[in-house]
Amino acid sequence: MRKYVTLFIALLSLASVAYAADSQIWGEMRIQNILGYGQEESWKLGPLFTMLQHKYFAWIFLGVLIGVPAAFFIHYKIIGPKVFPHSEKKYYAFNLYNRIIHQVAAVSFLVIIPTGFIIIFGDFFGGGTFVRMAKNLHGIFTIPFTIVVIPMALMWLKEALFNMDDIKWFMILGGYLSKEKKPILAGKFNAGQKMWYWVAILGGITMILSGAFMYFLDFKMEMLHNLTGMSQIDMLRAAAIIHNVMGFAVLALFITHVYMSMFAIKGAVHSIITGYVEEEEIKILHSTWYKKLKDQGKF
Amino acid sequence: MDYARMKFYCDESRCIECDGCSIACAEAHELPVGISRRKVVTINEGIPGREMSTSIACMHCTDAPCEQVCPVDCFYIREDGIVLHDKDKCIGCGYCLYACPFGAPQFPRDGAFGAKGAMDKCTMCAGGPLETNSEKERHLYGQNRIAEGKVPVCAAMCSTKALLVGDSESVSNVYRARVMARGGKGSNSPYGWDKAYKNQ
Repeated sequence: MRKYVTLFIALLSLASVAYAADSQIWGEMRIQNILGYGQEESWKLGPLFTMLQHKYFAWIFLGVLIGVPAAFFIHYKIIGPKVFPHSEKKYYAFNLYNRIIHQVAAVSFLVIIPTGFIIIFGDFFGGGTFVRMAKNLHGIFTIPFTIVVIPMALMWLKEALFNMDDIKWFMILGGYLSKEKKPILAGKFNAGQKMWYWVAILGGITMILSGAFMYFLDFKMEMLHNLTGMSQIDMLRAAAIIHNVMGFAVLALFITHVYMSMFAIKGAVHSIITGYVEEEEIKILHSTWYKKLKDQGKF
Repeated sequence: MDYARMKFYCDESRCIECDGCSIACAEAHELPVGISRRKVVTINEGIPGREMSTSIACMHCTDAPCEQVCPVDCFYIREDGIVLHDKDKCIGCGYCLYACPFGAPQFPRDGAFGAKGAMDKCTMCAGGPLETNSEKERHLYGQNRIAEGKVPVCAAMCSTKALLVGDSESVSNVYRARVMARGGKGSNSPYGWDKAYKNQ
């Protein structure tokens, strides 16, 4: 085991030496980078990133962080949570594999999102060791998420494909704006959950790639340079912009996901812990799925 | 007291690409291998009449973009325009590099698993936020020659006096005199000044 760890560290340090020897940022490419900065025909990503990061990113993050929970707080106060009996029949919907994959992703997000905030508002925390540690954790906890993101994508892909039910779901916003318990058209996942699936999977992969780009910083990927026609530094600028913008979406839907499972539908979070979903919950919130299960004689 | 605005200027018609400035810098500040705060680049290499060399480092920009994007606010701009940063605050995120028009910020990979360490860049030989001329300041930021009343080492050793550093008025005067002496030939404005100082 020790041997492998040593080998791994040696490889990493070798890799960083390799970057340094053939730098795409400070080597020969630096001339093109300097000449290309802010040029008419370029994408002007340098000035664009500077403007966005200087004026907007932190404020938008703060807006999402306060705005989304505030909206849900109002929702909770006015419409209130949906409460379903937890003593009735249950359906075993998530097996152990589903739950482990989900929990690994959940723990990763619970570290990645707060540490992301510490980085964004690093000046508030005064920088230094604390924020540096947050930055390192932000990177380290990407590894477990990277491992589970593909299995998670595959295990729920079929249920996450959009269909006609979803249009009706969106028209009434899933019935969350009314106190009534009317059956709502939805399969195993409703349109909101599907939206979160795609943002978490595709957005998550985008976050991993753009984040890895910024972490490794100086490397050469000929294919990518040819494909995009961009220099390394411009790709880094694009990565930083994409990482932040995608971050808004992931954050907003993550908060929504937590609110729904923890507050809006009382006790819904237990279904991903134990694997069992309440019959009433399925009957009302996932009526298409309920019909299917009933036809199969599961209830 | 009114402070003069400190600027770098590299005369492309004088620079002979000897690389002395970048070596003097690395030696004076005892920079680790792989870090060069100053670099000599040749533009339009091989194109007759258009080839020129110039020495590039942090230009200590007006409205420094690095300072604008830093999430931990580790940059500070002295009254004489020198852009410095606090390495104890810096988290090595790399944003300043993305914002920089000159590719000046560099990151020694000294963290665990090759993570980026605190950013390093030219200080115009003005050290950092630590006690002036203290051992710690010298270790983290290099010499503080400005505090001693000395010219930054790159410009001090430049054999052709292509690289100048000083308050903007003096630098502009030298530049104008040189352009006049050449019969008005040469670029309209010093290379990089449009980006760094907005031609002011």
